[in-house]
Amino acid sequence: MSQTDVRTPEDLRAAEERLAAARERLKKVIRRSVYVYRIDCGGCNGCEIEIYAAFSPLFDPERLGIKIVATPRHADILVYTGPMTRPMRLPALRAYRAAPDPKIVVAYGACGCSGGIFHDSYGVWGGTQSLFPVDVFIPGCPPTPAATVYGMALALDLLHQKIRGETHTEEGTPAQVAPRYPEVSPALAVRIDREARRLCGYREGRRIARQYLEFVREGDPLAVDRKVKELVKAARDPRLAEVYLTLHQIYMNAGAPGGAEAAEGRS
Amino acid sequence: MLKLLRKVVQTGQVTLPYPFAPVEVAPDFRGKPVYDFSRCLGCSACARACPPQAITVEWSGQQGVATWSINYGRCIFCGRCEEVCPTGAIRLSEEFELAAARAEDLVVRAELQMTRCSGCGEAFAPGRELEYVQASLQAVRGTVGPVLAERLRLCPRCRRGAAARSRRAGLPGGGGSR
Ligand code: SF4
Ligand code: SF4
Ligand code: SF4
Repeated sequence: MSQTDVRTPEDLRAAEERLAAARERLKKVIRRSVYVYRIDCGGCNGCEIEIYAAFSPLFDPERLGIKIVATPRHADILVYTGPMTRPMRLPALRAYRAAPDPKIVVAYGACGCSGGIFHDSYGVWGGTQSLFPVDVFIPGCPPTPAATVYGMALALDLLHQKIRGETHTEEGTPAQVAPRYPEVSPALAVRIDREARRLCGYREGRRIARQYLEFVREGDPLAVDRKVKELVKAARDPRLAEVYLTLHQIYMNAGAPGGAEAAEGRS
Repeated sequence: MLKLLRKVVQTGQVTLPYPFAPVEVAPDFRGKPVYDFSRCLGCSACARACPPQAITVEWSGQQGVATWSINYGRCIFCGRCEEVCPTGAIRLSEEFELAAARAEDLVVRAELQMTRCSGCGEAFAPGRELEYVQASLQAVRGTVGPVLAERLRLCPRCRRGAAARSRRAGLPGGGGSR
């Protein structure tokens, strides 16, 4: 967290009260749809694309009474996207001043929340919070249309916040962490896991490695051999069959069943 | 006009009921990285891999505490942390409803106790990580000898010193890798 993110409890309470008061006044005073104006302070435009995707007929926030307007003078909600860059800080401030009170400030995307991927860039001041108080943060890079709708609904108090800050300490939790693939030699598990990830990427690869190592854990080499052959025969995708055979080759070379000695001997 | 009406009737309603009903996400959707403290070693691999430094691990050698923390407000949902985590302590989920009114609600922190070097007394690695390494060595080698077990409790500097001394004395276990 950067310095600007650190706030005292008084600040927090004040921020909560401000948001509650703004919502209340929005409900009482304006009694119509709320208007949203968004300001891009220097992001990559991914967030803009998602905001407009969110306002497409598929999600249609106008049924919740949320409309996009073209000027901050009409706006009730200001959505700041992108990190706060030096050239955009004055336009951002001007938009903030131009919007009539009560207004809700939304920091949109990882950049708006904290500077995101650009947080340590030379021209970036940080998130929206580095210039003025933010009422609602919508994380994501970019947030999906559904996340956008959720964030807007949260800003208007239509939905409840789900995420909460957490702090864990070690008391009461066991100190020993079980390995990812229990009962399989770590040397073999690492080789299978690595090869599967090299061939198929980390997510699909992990899934395949887990399945393969499950066979290894359960059975003797003959059973593993049989199961893999069955899998290869059943695989619709020849690439998948190839991957299974490659993993199987590693297992056989490593000297079943544990595969420990041979695998270690070579590494 | 009639043409338009026909089109409307043909297409039907496309607007999703969200947020009043859950919305379906694509398979392998990259949502909130969920942290499982009971499986975390404090090894900091995720902190090194994380492109925007959403995950940080701060080691305090004096207090003997490693503080792991993630800021969901900075995360770009790339999945690097999941890729490098050796134990699967951090996993991307399908959760995307992360909006919050307070920046503090976007932060998850964890404190891990560090082990002190048996030579110089400085805290040098999270205790869980050392246990994990020892258990893995045990599983691979079948046994962890007294020299190795002792070396594991030394910080890198003291370990180098110990290795140099034992080599000079011609004792076994001189090589750092043993
Ligand atoms: S949060 Fe991500 S998508 Fe949005 S402006 Fe920043 S880098 Fe682009
Ligand atoms: S998903 Fe990417 S940005 Fe988010 S915590 Fe993991 S490594 Fe960091
Ligand atoms: S990589 Fe995994 S085990 Fe290591 S510190 Fe990160 S979450 Fe914990």
